[in-house]
Amino acid sequence: MFARFLQWLYDTHFSGMMRESLWAEPIVETIHVLTLTLFLGFAVMLDMRLLGVVLKRRRMSEVLAQFNPWLFAGFAVMIVTGVLLFCGDPLSFWSTTFFKVKMIMLALAGLNVLIFNATIGRKVAQWDLDPRTPGQAKIAAVVSLVLWVLIIAAGRGIAYALPPP
Amino acid sequence: MIRTLLLGFCQWCNNSFWGHAIRESTWLFPFVEIFHLLALGILGGTILILNLRLMRLAFKTESTAELAAEVKPWMIGSLTVMLISGFLLFSTEAVKMYGNWGFQLKMLFLLLATIYTFTIHRRITLTDDGRFPPALRIFVAVVSLLLWSGVGLGGRALGYITTSVGSVSMLWLR
Repeated sequence: MFARFLQWLYDTHFSGMMRESLWAEPIVETIHVLTLTLFLGFAVMLDMRLLGVVLKRRRMSEVLAQFNPWLFAGFAVMIVTGVLLFCGDPLSFWSTTFFKVKMIMLALAGLNVLIFNATIGRKVAQWDLDPRTPGQAKIAAVVSLVLWVLIIAAGRGIAYALPPP
Repeated sequence: MIRTLLLGFCQWCNNSFWGHAIRESTWLFPFVEIFHLLALGILGGTILILNLRLMRLAFKTESTAELAAEVKPWMIGSLTVMLISGFLLFSTEAVKMYGNWGFQLKMLFLLLATIYTFTIHRRITLTDDGRFPPALRIFVAVVSLLLWSGVGLGGRALGYITTSVGSVSMLWLR
């Protein structure tokens, strides 16, 4: 069933264009990778603040308010460019284990954010200036960091595992 | 003269034990490359944080100097990892890189960006917000972003340029 969808996607005009055009894939991939270089630093800074390592004198709620819009914007660009890249060669991407692993870990990263915002994130005002952030916040930060490293590694692995065109 | 020295250096790197080891291994190259990519993410983040602040687009509750002090260890740390991992990756095909104009551009931009960041950019970020006109601060930030983007784009470009081993297409000979 899913394989049929991927085949349908592969047969679309857009997919063909992404594959045949000399510039489409390089441009989209460049945006994807360079947005990552902007996004990752922000995510790391935020996680480091959650661990109480950096920006310690700033209120957690302030740091969240300042970083979040950029993180969301960056993440949105990553998703859009990622989808475009995938559309270019859905069958090849899906054939690699790296891609599937990357998708699972992205989902887990999203889940991590949701859980944080639904629980300990709601009570940020209570630990805004605590020198020692709550354990749950620390766990969320560590999970986030580990996942991003694995996501990037898997992303790089995709490039190696892709079957030749 | 310089060309001969550079080519000699590239050949030396190519033939080094680390160049050999990474070339011959199936997993070492991706392994080092991942560190390069991760450090790139962090470096890009610190550069962007400072420049967004200079342009008054974000983090306005902190002074630029304080922000700079906070991100500095991350900037220096990630840049160090990038230089080391980059050198290791370069060594695996140093002679090819010698003839690759994408790589040449990348190194040129890297040199300019690094010097710029630790001189002019540093000067501006460490002064109080009121000392220099906003337009100047924005200009300094934009130049920083352009220079570092040049490094990134050069890095992307080099992957698409194929050169036969030893062929020379030095930028300034074109």
